[in-house]
Amino acid sequence: MILSAEDLHKHYGEFCALGGVSFQVYEGEFISIIGPNGAGKTTLINVLTGLLKPNRGRVFFKEMEITGIGPERLSRLGLARSFQLVNIFPNFTVLEFLMVAIVSRLGKVKNFFSSLLRDQEVTEEALVVAKLFGLDEKRDMLTKNLPQGDKKMLDVASAFALHPEVILLDEPTSGVSTSDKNKIMETLVSASKKIGIKSIIQVEHDMDIVFSYSDRIIALHQGKILADGAPEKIEKDEEVVCTVVGQKECFKIFRAVLNREN
Amino acid sequence: MIETILNILFSGVFNASTLFLVAAGLQVVFGVQKVFNLACGTFYALGAYVGITVVKSLVAGGFPTPLFIVPLIMAGLLLGFIGPIFERGLIKFVYDRDETFQLLLTFAMVMMIEDIIKFIWGTSPQTMGGIDLVYGQLNILGATIPVYNLIVIGCSFGMAILIGYILLNTKFGRTIRAAADKREMSEALGINMTWIYVKVFTLGTILGTLGGALVIPAGAAVSEMGVELIVLAFAVVVIGGLGSMKGAFVGALVVGVLKSIAISTYPELEMLTIYIIVIVVLVIKPQGLFGGGRV
Amino acid sequence: MRNRREVTALKSFRIVSLVVGGLFLLGLPLWTSQFISYLMLTFFAYAITVIGFNLLFGYTGLLSFGHALFMAVGAYTAAFLTSKFSFHYMEIILVVAVIVASLLAALIGAICVRYIKIYFAMLTLAFGMLFYTFLLKFYYLTGGDEGMRVLRPYLLGFNFSEIPKMQFLTGSYYLYTFALLAVLTFVMWKIVSSPLGLCLKAIRDNPEKAEYLGVSVRKYRWFAFVISGAYAAIGGALLAPAIGQVDPGLTYWTHSGTLVFMTLLGGFENFLGPLIGGVVYIFLQDKVMSLTQYWRFIFGGILAFIVIAAPGGIAGMISSLVRRRKS
Repeated sequence: MILSAEDLHKHYGEFCALGGVSFQVYEGEFISIIGPNGAGKTTLINVLTGLLKPNRGRVFFKEMEITGIGPERLSRLGLARSFQLVNIFPNFTVLEFLMVAIVSRLGKVKNFFSSLLRDQEVTEEALVVAKLFGLDEKRDMLTKNLPQGDKKMLDVASAFALHPEVILLDEPTSGVSTSDKNKIMETLVSASKKIGIKSIIQVEHDMDIVFSYSDRIIALHQGKILADGAPEKIEKDEEVVCTVVGQKECFKIFRAVLNREN
Repeated sequence: MIETILNILFSGVFNASTLFLVAAGLQVVFGVQKVFNLACGTFYALGAYVGITVVKSLVAGGFPTPLFIVPLIMAGLLLGFIGPIFERGLIKFVYDRDETFQLLLTFAMVMMIEDIIKFIWGTSPQTMGGIDLVYGQLNILGATIPVYNLIVIGCSFGMAILIGYILLNTKFGRTIRAAADKREMSEALGINMTWIYVKVFTLGTILGTLGGALVIPAGAAVSEMGVELIVLAFAVVVIGGLGSMKGAFVGALVVGVLKSIAISTYPELEMLTIYIIVIVVLVIKPQGLFGGGRV
Repeated sequence: MRNRREVTALKSFRIVSLVVGGLFLLGLPLWTSQFISYLMLTFFAYAITVIGFNLLFGYTGLLSFGHALFMAVGAYTAAFLTSKFSFHYMEIILVVAVIVASLLAALIGAICVRYIKIYFAMLTLAFGMLFYTFLLKFYYLTGGDEGMRVLRPYLLGFNFSEIPKMQFLTGSYYLYTFALLAVLTFVMWKIVSSPLGLCLKAIRDNPEKAEYLGVSVRKYRWFAFVISGAYAAIGGALLAPAIGQVDPGLTYWTHSGTLVFMTLLGGFENFLGPLIGGVVYIFLQDKVMSLTQYWRFIFGGILAFIVIAAPGGIAGMISSLVRRRKS
């Protein structure tokens, strides 16, 4: 078991965002967290990645408790995340952006006087990651000038550049046109294999993507886990589908779509 | 023993009264347009100098001395209407900029206004020559308290209640609170933010100049008073919490009384104590007593 | 986008112009008046200070309104050692100044870097003013508002007391200070080009994302604070013998404001910007002060103009002109 959440609770005053969420993640799993807006998905990611301290409950990473330790220590331990709303360094070039992750991973910051530009190792590693995500052509472009989709990719790529063991992706394909979504997912999956990421957890709304790529689906609703299992099991669960998709009628459409795909 | 305590208490509350006015001005401008106006202390100084000039010339011209407080307050209030000049002329250009740039702009304002003060009034301290004693003094349990100070405390308290009432019960107040909370929403709801910003900044300036005008009969106008005050006002805001009116009230009381205690025990270390308290509060509870949000 | 040849050409141009500029400054006392050389000397001291200050402001995004504190520490160290202890070896004075300032910066920085923006600015202002009150009130130690005298130091062990003051200042002392400026500028260049420099810029642009990429935001901000404090102390220690007398005004918040002004005037987004700002400020201030005693008003106006219309400072204006010519 690589990551485990134990009875996580998080309230904002009266409002309960997470009301007792527990689950385990094992090596090699691709997990999608689904749920309607307000279900607590982003809060869950924030708690899992130590940005938020839960009111109750604990998070474990490889037997070590990591509840609320904060993003920086977390990244050193091997857990990284990407953001739903693009989180970038606007004035950096693509290469510089990736170099931040590389530099912290390789522990190079201690050398106050070493020249970054001449550092072969850092530049090469950054280029490797850039290539994996199709960004190496744009390596000298300023991040703020990139098209939105590339910005998103860069955000994700920088998390990958940390060579984490587990990565949490918050809506990696949001804001991207449907035809590009599969391309992005393929990039993510192949990059994970090349870098050696052991488990991927993503929050995703697009059910096609969810059902095509996941080994396991966790459905969240009003801060609690509604269902947790393989896609085959989830798709038969009417309650889950209706809650997530929203309407009973859609269930039939949904089934029809799935059947057509198969 | 008890008269010393009462003396300290009353002078502390007196300090607090004028501090509250300036801090309230600072808070309301910060709350709505998120600008920390370093020049609030300089407006305070302006209020003091103008107050002196107005009252001195009126009294010299035969104006009845006991009524001096009326033109004093009016001068303090009216002077505040220079606010829009600064708001429209300078501040409006930096609303969408980084906080540090806004701070620097207000710093530039401090530099300019201080030289204007120097130009008009010179650098030697000015006083009203003890005119505040015209109202006599009260003897409470052995402590001698100028009636003027009590009037100022009363005025300030009245202002606090007035501000509280405006914020909670009037349309203007609700608009201010909405604008402070969510700017885009307010704009979407059709509230004219430009006009609000001008009004709020003017209110902030008026509170500053009024504070300066009211404090001056009891003291002297010196060129450093603006700078010293901004640190005190900041202390108030830190203790009370940035953006909170209640905080301004409580913070002003705390700082005013502490300053008073420091003056009577270790006058040398008056400002030192204040700086240390600011640092301590920032370390222990940076949001202050009533403030919210991340620091 | 630039190709390889263009990049190398630009780099060579930059190095050549730096060398030319350096030689010009080096030989300045030979062809200008003593007064101008003296002003340049004070500029060198301030230049070291603002190069350090900009590490904190331009590269890490933290505006300190109390930075003059460290300059004062350096200056008072020089005053103390030369007049109270009759110790004149400049090199040791500099080392002591750096040590004292670094310790102080480490302490103050540890408190301040937990906060950002306004709180950081006001907190550093409070510390600066705290030091001011200390210097003012403890007059038996520091000389109070009259300050302390600074006696002429020995440079590299040589005693120059035979030479008249101005000749010393615009001769050997000028060279000494210039050499230090050159070395320290080079060192700072190495720092900002290092991985630490990259991380500081990341912290400035997006501290949350930086944290997620494993960058220790608080620790690195603290590094920047201590380094810039050390630089300011060196600047202050070098300034002290030039002005001959140190007083508490060195740490008054408006003096910190001057440092910010210089940096902003020259351009905080450019490595050499603060140097440009420093030299322009010093000469401009001298000129304006001779015209009117209300120079603060004019400078306030200039600052307001920069903040509103030209936040990139002089260097920023030059770059946008260059860019416009290119397109």
